[in-house]
Amino acid sequence: MSTDARARRRRNRALSAVAPAALLALVTALLAALSDRSPARLALDLAWAPPSASRPFGSGDAGVDLLALVSHATVRALALAALVSLFGFLVGTPLGAAAGIFRGRFERWTLRACDLVQSFPTFLLALAVLSAVRSPSRLHIGLVFCVTAWAPFARVAAAQARVLSESQFVEAARALGLGSVAIVFVHVIPNLLGPVSVQIGTSAAGVVLGETALGFVGLGPPDGVSLGSLIEQGTLAMLRAPHVLTVGAVAVILVSGSLQLASEGVRRWVHLE
Amino acid sequence: MSGQGAAAGSRSRPTDAVFALLRLGATVLGRTGGAVLTLVALASLVFLALRLLPGDPAALVLGEQASEADRALIRGKLGLDRPLGAQYLSFLLGLARLDLGDSLARPGTSAFAEVGRALGPTSALAGLAVGLGALLGIAAAVACVGPWLGSRREWLHRAVLVVAATPLLSFAPLATYLLAVRLRVVPLPGDPESGASGLLFASGLLSLPLAAQVARIGRAALLDLGHAKFLDVAAAKGGSPWRVWVVHALPAASAPISVVIAAQLGALLGGAVVLERLFERPGLGTLMLSAYAARDIPVLEASVVAAGLLFVAVQALAIFIHALIDPRGREP
Repeated sequence: MSTDARARRRRNRALSAVAPAALLALVTALLAALSDRSPARLALDLAWAPPSASRPFGSGDAGVDLLALVSHATVRALALAALVSLFGFLVGTPLGAAAGIFRGRFERWTLRACDLVQSFPTFLLALAVLSAVRSPSRLHIGLVFCVTAWAPFARVAAAQARVLSESQFVEAARALGLGSVAIVFVHVIPNLLGPVSVQIGTSAAGVVLGETALGFVGLGPPDGVSLGSLIEQGTLAMLRAPHVLTVGAVAVILVSGSLQLASEGVRRWVHLE
Repeated sequence: MSGQGAAAGSRSRPTDAVFALLRLGATVLGRTGGAVLTLVALASLVFLALRLLPGDPAALVLGEQASEADRALIRGKLGLDRPLGAQYLSFLLGLARLDLGDSLARPGTSAFAEVGRALGPTSALAGLAVGLGALLGIAAAVACVGPWLGSRREWLHRAVLVVAATPLLSFAPLATYLLAVRLRVVPLPGDPESGASGLLFASGLLSLPLAAQVARIGRAALLDLGHAKFLDVAAAKGGSPWRVWVVHALPAASAPISVVIAAQLGALLGGAVVLERLFERPGLGTLMLSAYAARDIPVLEASVVAAGLLFVAVQALAIFIHALIDPRGREP
């Protein structure tokens, strides 16, 4: 195969990896931005109205336009998920890489901390921290997820770095007199980005589901623009307006599903290279 | 000679059993050490979040408009006027004695008494879900690798993947709508007379994500074992596929299966809170959320710790069962 064709194939693979999430983000962002629909505008006479031509997803509690609610809530959930997983990536990767290179007590304690954080029931943690805040905002929710977001990245990075630390180019760098910190940042981190990046989609899907669960039990952002609040509305009005529940549930499946597909795409792409 | 050996064997058998039990106990203790650490960390976090984050907890309880005298009263009641170290010490002592003071919302009832009442329904829900999930998942994993389903195995595997990727929060309300409202085969959410069928339906829903993960990991583990010599031997001795996969292969694959069950417990507990809310069932989740809404700090602290304790207990159970089945999991 010519290098040209290989490069094209690699580009295609890259596209198929990020396409689901990118498409979802683009469509919802466009919907939210281009239309003049707003989840804050209420039409009381349309409360719980089924889907119609002017409101394709129907209306919810107090006549909120469900199309506007879903698109705004999805954009915000995706933004939160992106920021939290970026934080986890930026903190966890160097930490894990350093643990895999330095070994010894540092690695043991890092992995022990990963165990502790990953075995935490995130939901309880969120409840414990949010209970100290008068009305939790999206910022507070994001901060709670950041407490645990770094651990999976650190674990994958540590496992990869352990393998890399035995490789010849790291040995060569050591022989040339490079310090451990420089080795971590110049030689190790660039070489473990592939496997670690698989984790981003998984993490983001976890954040979206976590935010939805918090919103469902009433710990969501106070403006109520969250997929969890939408599902809560839907379950309360299950007998009267089943379309609300359907819209919310399908939206959650689509968002978390496309993030997982993206992660799976990245995994295939990384492994084929 | 052989008679002597047999006699020695029979003499040492009771002590062997005792040693095996002791080793099992040591394993469980060693592995749960980390889990207890998790519990203490969780409790400390609840404690610190309320006291170190900006804002006056007394104002959280009473509202911003409360008079300074009322706030001082609440602060005294919760011990917030003492130094942080002393508060933490008495908090830990209170945890050890299972006494974190009285509920603020219902004066005269101790916080742990409230938690004790809520613990039963939640343990039933979560315990039944873990059992059902493990059974369903293992059955699906064995069916995915055994010869019984033929080419339909691929379909089962796909179904497992779809269930594993579908969030509980989206399929549980939908399934409830279809089965309770449309088909009327299960009781409606909030029905006080739902009884056993309500519990079974809720824990069945809760067990599905766990079952899918167990099936996914169990199938991979069993496929890995597929070419192991001891399975060939078992088959060559005339063992049926059932005997080969269930009696010989399954115990050897129990390590990844119990690991995935232990890893899913946090999510399961979160799912239990969500389902209690969905079905309006009494329980730890409902108690926690109402304590959160009323800012009933002693009850909130006690219920978060109790949920953590439940988590640790079930995790220890998973480790224990694994050590029981697979001798490789025991501490040497």
